[in-house]
Amino acid sequence: MAFPAKYPQMNATELTDEARRVLIRVIRVAFPHPSFPDAPYERTADTILREAESSTWFRVALTQGLITLSHLAGGDFRTLNDEDGTKVLRRIETTEFFGFIRRTTVLNLYDNEDVWKILGYEGPSFDKGGYINRGFNDLDWLPEARIESYDGPEQLIEVATSASVAKIRGGENTPATERDTSNQPGKRDATMMEMTK
Amino acid sequence: MSTIEHDEAAIVIIGSGAGGGTLAYELTAKGLPVVVLEAGPYLRNEDYVNDEWEAFNQMAWLDPRTTSGSWRIARDFPNLPAWIVKAVGGTTTHWSGATPRFKAHEFAARSTYGRIDGANLLDWPITLAELAPYYDKAEIAMGSTHVHGRKPLPANNNYTVFANGAERLGYKFYSTGPYATNAEEYDGRPASIQDGFNFQGDKNKSKWSTLVREIPRAEATGLLDLRPDSHAVQITHDASGRADAVLYLDKDGNLQRQAARLVAVAANSIETPRLLLQSASPMFPDGLANSSGQVGRNYMRHTTGSVYARFNDPVRMHRGETMAGVIADESRHDPDRGFAGGYFLETISLGPAFLASFSDPGAWGRGFTEILEAYANTAGLWIVGEDLPQESNRVTLNTTLSDKNGLPVPNVHFDDHANDIAMREHGYAQAELLYEAVGSVGAQRTPPYPSTHNMGTSRMSARSEDGVVDKWGRAHDVPNLFISDGSVFTTSAAANPTLTIVALAIRQAEYIADQLKTGGI
Repeated sequence: MAFPAKYPQMNATELTDEARRVLIRVIRVAFPHPSFPDAPYERTADTILREAESSTWFRVALTQGLITLSHLAGGDFRTLNDEDGTKVLRRIETTEFFGFIRRTTVLNLYDNEDVWKILGYEGPSFDKGGYINRGFNDLDWLPEARIESYDGPEQLIEVATSASVAKIRGGENTPATERDTSNQPGKRDATMMEMTK
Repeated sequence: MSTIEHDEAAIVIIGSGAGGGTLAYELTAKGLPVVVLEAGPYLRNEDYVNDEWEAFNQMAWLDPRTTSGSWRIARDFPNLPAWIVKAVGGTTTHWSGATPRFKAHEFAARSTYGRIDGANLLDWPITLAELAPYYDKAEIAMGSTHVHGRKPLPANNNYTVFANGAERLGYKFYSTGPYATNAEEYDGRPASIQDGFNFQGDKNKSKWSTLVREIPRAEATGLLDLRPDSHAVQITHDASGRADAVLYLDKDGNLQRQAARLVAVAANSIETPRLLLQSASPMFPDGLANSSGQVGRNYMRHTTGSVYARFNDPVRMHRGETMAGVIADESRHDPDRGFAGGYFLETISLGPAFLASFSDPGAWGRGFTEILEAYANTAGLWIVGEDLPQESNRVTLNTTLSDKNGLPVPNVHFDDHANDIAMREHGYAQAELLYEAVGSVGAQRTPPYPSTHNMGTSRMSARSEDGVVDKWGRAHDVPNLFISDGSVFTTSAAANPTLTIVALAIRQAEYIADQLKTGGI
């Protein structure tokens, strides 16, 4: 969406270095990972800034949002601790400004090797021969589980005997005229009462 | 590959996935030349990438769509109602592989469940007994494990958690399949290397898809004219009301016309009704083959949800076959649980990129990051169960929004039925109990993903006023028009739909070949 041309001066809005630093802090407060260094947050902030460059609407929303955030924070958002920062973000979580940051962060922060390693995800595996010889079954804190189909004495009861119309299941043994098979109001309206509330 | 002239009245199949790809192979194997129009590109196994978003952007159907209704998808992913593939091989190239059969009573949902308010239930015009021989053929073609002598896949870490939980919960009917991926070499394709990339296309060719089996075999007959990047936009008809051609856009956006003596539509359950609705004409004012008014209605997407549970010890769910773990105990119909129909529990795994996007859309803050922080110690499962057809759950043409070709985009309207919600809640609770039984320290209830199972929008019915096609998938209104995908499902059953789509397509091919021989079409 383009900002209305009636206000061309708004299109000139630009994000400062300070705005970038506030943005990095916003992302860390909203998506706190004590184990993450700064680099993934900086990378994500730069992605957001790049995306904002391509959309006047997002650029305006982002610029104004970061300024407003400082007002809500009583000065500088970066000076708030995690808990107070989170409170401020909760107040604005339904805004376009925060929604843009949240969406873009979710899509990008976790889509990079730098955080996969920390989280314990190993990335592409085909070129390494998959996991067939690299621990696909190395879980050792539970007993080995059966992989074959159950062959014990029990049968899966496909239709519980409590189902009142179970006897006409399949219908092959019932004359077609006595079956109630369509969506038209039928004689079995009283069945499945618990579902008709 | 053969070339069929545009003005030669051909058998034209629209779509190359589970339905269209299978039908193309079965017909060419019987000596019948076919044209296959595939909207997407011809991606090969070596083109696939082990990266969630990159693969998504490479394979997924990303043409604009809109949504409405009270389902959460309309809020979280308003332009992505379904997660399906646009490429040769269709959605079989990213499916996970679970192949349970439908149960006998699921073909008779109306007479088994009775009348349920708000549900447009109807019995299928076929029975399990009629389909059983084709289930056998489909399982053999797809190499389903656990049946016809195929070995089970080994347990991966996610399965070990899942199966131990199942056992402790008292479940009996769990195993690593049936699952259409080779545990050992079969049908000229190698055993799985457990690389963990199922939704991204299988580079190793261990997983069945029409890309690795039916399409190359149809090509080998010399009777297949496969046209990738060919997006069907209209089926035209002659003065007698018979389909006579398919109009499609080629790679460069030019409109082409392929004359047809028979048209089979297998474009998945959003595009199939869209194409029929786009084919409206003065003779078929409500859309082709829509005298019943049921085209686009009864859209089903299975009652789904996932649970991701955290443990104190490592699981590494991303290692290995994604869905090689199936529990069938809850797949029964037992109204005492508070809902009609049943559901399966199946293992599932996402990488951090997808887990972040799908585990709790819209969430942020510490509660959200804890899900990701626990990644290495997380196990996951998917609930997949029968959802009820509703007339108002519906694919329509959105006349206020058009795609890059100027065509109206499809709108998908969906409201959960009370039965769907009750089933999902039951599934969540059972899943949490299962994981608690093996020591979980927390669990995340994840809402349904954009729909991977899309069904019901051109349903099969005995009577022409109740549905769109007959028991062979032949349109009630147009004698040489067939529907060959999950759109024909009268009800959804609990099982993953691919096996049933393939079985129906094999059966339909026999019927078509027979009818062409005897002049019945």
